[in-house]
Amino acid sequence: MATVIDKTTPSRDEAKAFARRRMIFAAVLVAIAILIPFVPPFTGQDYKRFLVTGALMAAYAVAFDFTAGYIDIVNFGFAAFVGLGAYTSGLLAVDLGISPWIGMFCGALVAAVVGLLTGMLTLRLRGIYAAVMAWFVGLALMGLVRTLPNITRGSLGLSTPQLLNTADNLPYYYIVLGMLFLTIGILMIVIHSRIGLAFRAIGQNLASAKASGINPTRFLVINFTLSCAFAGLLGGFYAHYYGILTPDLLATNHTVEVLAVAYIGGRGTLWGPAVIAFPLMVITGLLQAQLASMPGLELVLYGLLLIAVMIFRPAGFAGLVTAASNRIWKARTEAPDSAIPAS
Amino acid sequence: MTTTPATAPTNLRRVPLVKRFLTFTWLTIGLAALVLVGFAFVQPSIVVDTFVTGGMWALMAAGLALVFGVMNIPNFAHGEFFMIGSLVAYFVFTPINNAVYNDPSGTTLLKIFGPFPGMVIAALVGFAIGAVLEVILFRPLRRRSREQWVMNTFLLTAGISVVLVNGDELIFGNDFRGASRYWDVPPLQILGVSVSMDRAAVFVIAMVTILLFSLFLLRTRTGRAMRAVAQDEAGAQMAGISLNRIFVLTMGLSCGLAALAGASLLWLYPSSPTVGQQPLYLAWYVVILAGLGNVQGAIIGAFIVSLLQTVTVYYVGVDWVDVLPTLFIIVILLFKPSGLFGSEVKGVWEQ
Repeated sequence: MATVIDKTTPSRDEAKAFARRRMIFAAVLVAIAILIPFVPPFTGQDYKRFLVTGALMAAYAVAFDFTAGYIDIVNFGFAAFVGLGAYTSGLLAVDLGISPWIGMFCGALVAAVVGLLTGMLTLRLRGIYAAVMAWFVGLALMGLVRTLPNITRGSLGLSTPQLLNTADNLPYYYIVLGMLFLTIGILMIVIHSRIGLAFRAIGQNLASAKASGINPTRFLVINFTLSCAFAGLLGGFYAHYYGILTPDLLATNHTVEVLAVAYIGGRGTLWGPAVIAFPLMVITGLLQAQLASMPGLELVLYGLLLIAVMIFRPAGFAGLVTAASNRIWKARTEAPDSAIPAS
Repeated sequence: MTTTPATAPTNLRRVPLVKRFLTFTWLTIGLAALVLVGFAFVQPSIVVDTFVTGGMWALMAAGLALVFGVMNIPNFAHGEFFMIGSLVAYFVFTPINNAVYNDPSGTTLLKIFGPFPGMVIAALVGFAIGAVLEVILFRPLRRRSREQWVMNTFLLTAGISVVLVNGDELIFGNDFRGASRYWDVPPLQILGVSVSMDRAAVFVIAMVTILLFSLFLLRTRTGRAMRAVAQDEAGAQMAGISLNRIFVLTMGLSCGLAALAGASLLWLYPSSPTVGQQPLYLAWYVVILAGLGNVQGAIIGAFIVSLLQTVTVYYVGVDWVDVLPTLFIIVILLFKPSGLFGSEVKGVWEQ
């Protein structure tokens, strides 16, 4: 056992053990997410609200990471697609009286269609150009929402009906948690399918992906559209949880917040952003509540954290966890035979 | 879709003159010029407005283009230097302005030159902060890895932007700090349009700065070194140019120009944490329209964007100023993805 210390490709047994380890890890996280509203500090309504924002942010960050982490397209118009879903769902409920439960999926559909068009127009470009074009589309959408006050009520804000007839945050938490699991589940399945393989190939090396017969634009557009659809769906939840929509929802600084969470969590992992969003949003909520005299402090900390991650730890939180767990695992398997400290 | 082939510049001379100017780029510029000339007869105020705001966007966009051209950094925090500039100008100008009001008799000199200290100090502060950011943030990142440099620095500057905007809110609060005017004199008459002294001054400041900036880039040793780094980093280094020095200088200069723009427009954009957002995306429209990293193109592009804005404001309504120009720019970019003056940019953004 001690003969081979460093192998580059894991054997079948190791891979199995790794998969089992990952399953246990995921199960623990899911159990924590489900049970946490019953653990003392989180039983209060304030904390439950933080948990709802945490789960919502987690789902945003997962959908964002699906494009940013896998195909290397940073969607700077992400918040605009969230807003598009929110406004669609909200307007359907307000003007036509359609149930929010259906409206949310209509919002997802509209966001997906606009995402598809945006993707078809912009994804022939890559890198910074695609990011900036998505940003421009987002700005145009925000301008439109502002400019059509007789439809969207502009900056006065659109009051939307609530999803449930209750003041308790707990049911909302489970709904958004369900949406988070749905998002992460579907996107995980896609990532581990053949399409996902193509995404990763494109993200890692475009030229060689092309050489192996992948039509990059098609896969980029599929990925982008899917991400936008989830953004729209989550926007629908936003609309019927907060009950008020303003054009500010589509602003770029919200995209940057999601981006910060996704990168702090660890790009290209999906679970990293989902996990880190909870503590970040709870801390944000606490800071906002405790230090009302110091507005913007939590965002300064966010920004500093994002800068630090970008410079020193590009793998983010997920990278730290993976490294730590590998180290522990190595130490455990090697300890009986050799006294070499695994470092 | 229709990017110019990489070999185009070399055999440019063999292309007939008529054909050379019948490109999409020249058609757009020609059309813009024609529209301007037309409005000079119909609605002269459009022409004046276009040049006044265009000058400032040119100042913003030239800095943004310079940093991308030399350092390959797409600066998302460029608008925050506009904000810093207006903040500094406010704190310098307000005491001067109060002195003028308290003693209206004997301070003609202060009345004429009062606004300038604020602008100069703002530009210097912008320069200093930009230079510091290069040293403490971009240099460590450059040393660690240049993989996916363009995208990583874009996200890094997004982080910087969040810190600066919210830091401003944290320290100075959400108030608007402005000055109603810089020069308290009756408006000038240009083309039969009355133009306030502030607007005219802004245009002159922009033009003088751009002229000095161009002279610096074209005629001085340092400017030449900067252009050499933009063309070929390794080659420039071999020729004995200190990259670190050029990077610090470039970042500082770019941020200084943005701060100067913010300071000059204090009377139009009162300082607040989010004041830099509109200038930021306008500068980005310009830079993307002109082709990333093209400084001269950015100056022309600024006037095109400004024309789009002004015409929208006059004929469609001020509400549409965020929508129509954006859509128009998106349409132009569909035909010319690398920008009006951009050549093949593949090498830069796919490295």
